[in-house]
Amino acid sequence: MEYTGERIGIGAAATEAVKERRGGLDLPFLALTLTLLTIGVVMVLSASYARAYFSAATEHNAAYYFMRQLGFALAGVAAMYVFSLMPMQFYRRWSLALLLAAIGLLAVVPFIGVPQGDAKRWINLGFTTFQPSEIAKIAVILYFAALICKFRGRMSTIKYGILPFAAVLLVIVALLVLEPHFSGAIIILAIGAVMLFLGGVRLYWFVGALAVGAVGLGVVITFFPYASGRITTWLDPFANTSGDGYQIIQSLYAIGSGGLFGLGLGQGRQKYLYLPEEHNDFIFPVVCEELGFAGAMLILLLFALLIIRGYWLAMHMRDRYSFLVTAGITTLLAIQVFLNVAVVTNLVPCTGISLPFFSYGGTALMIQLAEMGIVLSAARDIPAKI
Amino acid sequence: MTDRRPGAGPNRMMLRRTLFLLSVCGIAAFIVLAAKLYDIQIVHHDEYEAAAIAQQVRETTVSAARGTIYDRNGLILAMSAGVDTIYISPAEIERGGEDAEAIAEGLSEILGVDYDTILRRAQNTKSWYEVVARKVEPEVSERVREFKAEGGYTGIKIEADTKRYYPFGSLASHVIGFVGLENTGLGGIEARYDELLSGENGYVLRSTTAAGTDMLYSSYEDYVDAEDGQSLCLTIDSTIQYYVEKHLAQAVEDYDIQNGAAAICMEVDTGAILAMASLGNFDLNDYQTISAEAEAEISGIAQSEEEYNELYALAQQQQWRNKAISDTYEPGSTFKIITLAMALEEGVVSETSSFYCGGSMNVIGRGTPLKCWKYGGHGSQTLTQAVQHSCNVAFVNIGQLVGEEKFYEYAEAFGFIDRTQDTSKQLTARTGIDLGGESGSIWWSEDVFCNPENLSQLAAASFGQTFNITPIQLITAVSACVNGGNLMRPYLVQSVEDSEGNVVSRTEPELVRKVISEETSAAVRGILEQVVGDQKEGTGHNAYVAGYRIGGKTGTSTKTTEEIAGNKEYIVSFIGFAPADDPQIAILVLLDDPSSESGIYISGGQMAAPVVGKMMADILPYLGVKPEYTDTELETIDRAVPELTGLGIAEAQRALTEAGFKARVIGEGDTVSDQLPGAGAVIASGSEVILYAGQEPAPTTETMPDLRGLSYAEAVERLGAIGVYLSAGNGVTDAGSQIVSGQSIAPGASVEHGTVVDVTLYLNDTSMLGIY
Repeated sequence: MEYTGERIGIGAAATEAVKERRGGLDLPFLALTLTLLTIGVVMVLSASYARAYFSAATEHNAAYYFMRQLGFALAGVAAMYVFSLMPMQFYRRWSLALLLAAIGLLAVVPFIGVPQGDAKRWINLGFTTFQPSEIAKIAVILYFAALICKFRGRMSTIKYGILPFAAVLLVIVALLVLEPHFSGAIIILAIGAVMLFLGGVRLYWFVGALAVGAVGLGVVITFFPYASGRITTWLDPFANTSGDGYQIIQSLYAIGSGGLFGLGLGQGRQKYLYLPEEHNDFIFPVVCEELGFAGAMLILLLFALLIIRGYWLAMHMRDRYSFLVTAGITTLLAIQVFLNVAVVTNLVPCTGISLPFFSYGGTALMIQLAEMGIVLSAARDIPAKI
Repeated sequence: MTDRRPGAGPNRMMLRRTLFLLSVCGIAAFIVLAAKLYDIQIVHHDEYEAAAIAQQVRETTVSAARGTIYDRNGLILAMSAGVDTIYISPAEIERGGEDAEAIAEGLSEILGVDYDTILRRAQNTKSWYEVVARKVEPEVSERVREFKAEGGYTGIKIEADTKRYYPFGSLASHVIGFVGLENTGLGGIEARYDELLSGENGYVLRSTTAAGTDMLYSSYEDYVDAEDGQSLCLTIDSTIQYYVEKHLAQAVEDYDIQNGAAAICMEVDTGAILAMASLGNFDLNDYQTISAEAEAEISGIAQSEEEYNELYALAQQQQWRNKAISDTYEPGSTFKIITLAMALEEGVVSETSSFYCGGSMNVIGRGTPLKCWKYGGHGSQTLTQAVQHSCNVAFVNIGQLVGEEKFYEYAEAFGFIDRTQDTSKQLTARTGIDLGGESGSIWWSEDVFCNPENLSQLAAASFGQTFNITPIQLITAVSACVNGGNLMRPYLVQSVEDSEGNVVSRTEPELVRKVISEETSAAVRGILEQVVGDQKEGTGHNAYVAGYRIGGKTGTSTKTTEEIAGNKEYIVSFIGFAPADDPQIAILVLLDDPSSESGIYISGGQMAAPVVGKMMADILPYLGVKPEYTDTELETIDRAVPELTGLGIAEAQRALTEAGFKARVIGEGDTVSDQLPGAGAVIASGSEVILYAGQEPAPTTETMPDLRGLSYAEAVERLGAIGVYLSAGNGVTDAGSQIVSGQSIAPGASVEHGTVVDVTLYLNDTSMLGIY
């Protein structure tokens, strides 16, 4: 291990040498990712065919969503491989540009976005739509990691450790609230905080931030009827079974119907137009209904293993930037998985968060796979696969 | 790791913090999620699953076909046929983006239902089931089906249902009963045998999408076949029922009966009911509607719509009430048959016993002397005469000879008392006929009745007063008196068939108990035949039918409960049986409150006896009982007019004389070109038949004269003059004295030449006027 340590970080020439002789793909991480992706795409077929069949928008083609998702998954795997080939320096160099691009996109969404209810979160690319907030998440990770490396040793100061980061977060969160996209804002804030936490910011800042966050949440709940309604529904969804409580109740029916071993793959019933968003944000209830508690546990275990492997890889990085990016992406994945499952089980108030590798959505899936590619790229630099 | 340069890789703090994140995000978070999922999927699995299935599964009922009701000859009295229920699913109309207004307009036009009503239902978009019309005939629902197909309206639904049809309308309405909207029996046999008739509904469970359509790979389906109802064959004979209703209705009209009438025709040996009628009856196909007269009466009284509805509901209850089993009354003198039978059985009287009636007698425990109906009394009489005269004094004596204890025992044996019931006040007994709504009798308790210190109850009971029984109880007991002494359980259902027509069960006649001996029964039959057959002394002679041996007993009773300010109401009745030597059938006719304005003396003998006679005259030949006429009867009986057209005049005249008719020739021709009345018409012997000889009969119509009050001979003459003919149902015994009390064609009606009018006769012999 020591001789590899010598090589890393000794100037451009050595970097070039390392680049040429980079290690291979981390097999456990890759295998877990591909396994989850495969299950996810199959579940999209199972969850979506009823909706697709009964919908005029898909011309009653039951495989409509599945075929598209399959296409994006294959493209995403290719992207993951390409991204795994890129050196970490590449990401570091382009992180600011990416962040600015994300901010720019967020700034134009209110103007050119596709309206969805009262919100505009999506940009239409013609063949598909995508959420700029997805790009903002990875941009924050890549840029914060770069900044943390740059301010090495000064991260415990306000001037370097707090202010620049806070400024970036403020801009992005402000733009997200404008859409409005609260769940996106919360995730960006969370991932930003985690980056700072990893970067060495003093702990009391987090205590303070949590306090501010709690107060802010209280204010939002009190003054935004939209948010307070979510809380009411969360506390007692059965108070309004056909209105606000409908979605979460249908989700609970689906999950509860599954029992220990489920109704069998493809045998779910709640997807027959009872459960809204059954192939997007609420795909996990279909998984629970069809594969049961056992199947749900297996999938959560795969996610947990992937996340643990991500942290494990991060901890073995020889390079601080790679460490920060890997840990950041892993945490982002963990937050998304946790919040999605927590929402569909009514553990937390309902908000729109997709389940990585499962939820239907081409660009989101591709971005997630690209993020996995970045982790795999960082992992190539670990000299010996442990 | 110790050699790590500052900043090259993560420092110790960073690793510590990463480990912390790993344990929170990679382990703790998943434990929380697992716990939550365990709670939902394992702990609360059953309730969520039940709730999910409840919303996913829709149940459709598969109606069982209701069984058919047949009469004893296999004629259909009640049957079910397929109809449809048209309903809409507003939720599907909304989701499918279908035009609710167009649907409402189309359905309104086809079904005749108000447009606004349909539209209002269609706008209740949370509903999946809004009925537009029920019991829709197949032709109409076919049009709905076409409309649905043309418009592609998935929101219009057609559901199979059944409707009950009663081919004979009002015939035996109280016996058959009817079914409600939900095909549940609500009266008569339909209610009593509802479980058998209705069968078991089946159902289809299927899982549907939230849009109400079938799931693609329907993972939940269950089908339970409907079990069709069984069919019933009744003991009722439609033909006999028809005769009974026809004559009963005529009587109601002739005597202006105020409170309805009832009649029962029973097979005496088995207790099978051949006919049971209660008037006014109603059309089973339209059972909710009350008669026009009843409606007019209500409209006159009702002050408000609410009151009208209340009265209407009461009138419905009234019209659905089966008087023959639900109303109790004091039987009066018809009960003397029972007293007679028990006295003969006990041997306390014989046909040679004699009784003296001085017009009244004293009874222990009774303050005033008990009066016979005949002022001055009947004098000295034999037992037969006492029955013929319906002498109350004689029967009080007979009752006392039997004794209160024995009398009470016999009353119980004949089914009027049931001491196993509550003995405190009313000793309610029932026959147990297989029909709903049977009332129980009301009798004295044993301590009151069997009190040697006070025999007034015994005295009154001996001639049928101071207790209440139902008509079905009386005819059942009287049948036992004349059938050899066997008290049978009356019944209406002869056999039960399954939906394929296989007999499932057959009712065997049930002997309740043997009450009197065959010898006693024969003696009772002989005496009762004298009540009808003896033209001089029998109070029941108006029930006479030429050629048949009929026995019977009259009855007239005051309705004690409804005696209002001197305006007494009566129930007149007659119970007859035939043939008297070997009875096949018994008929009880009961007329509740005849109007005193008919001009006929209100009594069972004058009013009810002729009705039974006319029923017997139709029913006995139908049953194949051969008439045996005496020479005098042959001169008066009704006969069929022979076919004469085309014969020579002389030949025709000869044929008419042979058939017992007179002939009148109109025209100059040699052959008969036409005749009046036509061949086959049944008219009184001795009537004048008109033979047209080459001359066309004038197609004149005549006005029906009022025959009531005329003697039979006068009536024949009066009608003969206008070419209208008479039939008296072979009830003519004394053409000069018998008086017309009713006619089948109302006075003033327009009638054609050759019409035959049916008349009811009674002998107005004042010495025989027995009101008891």
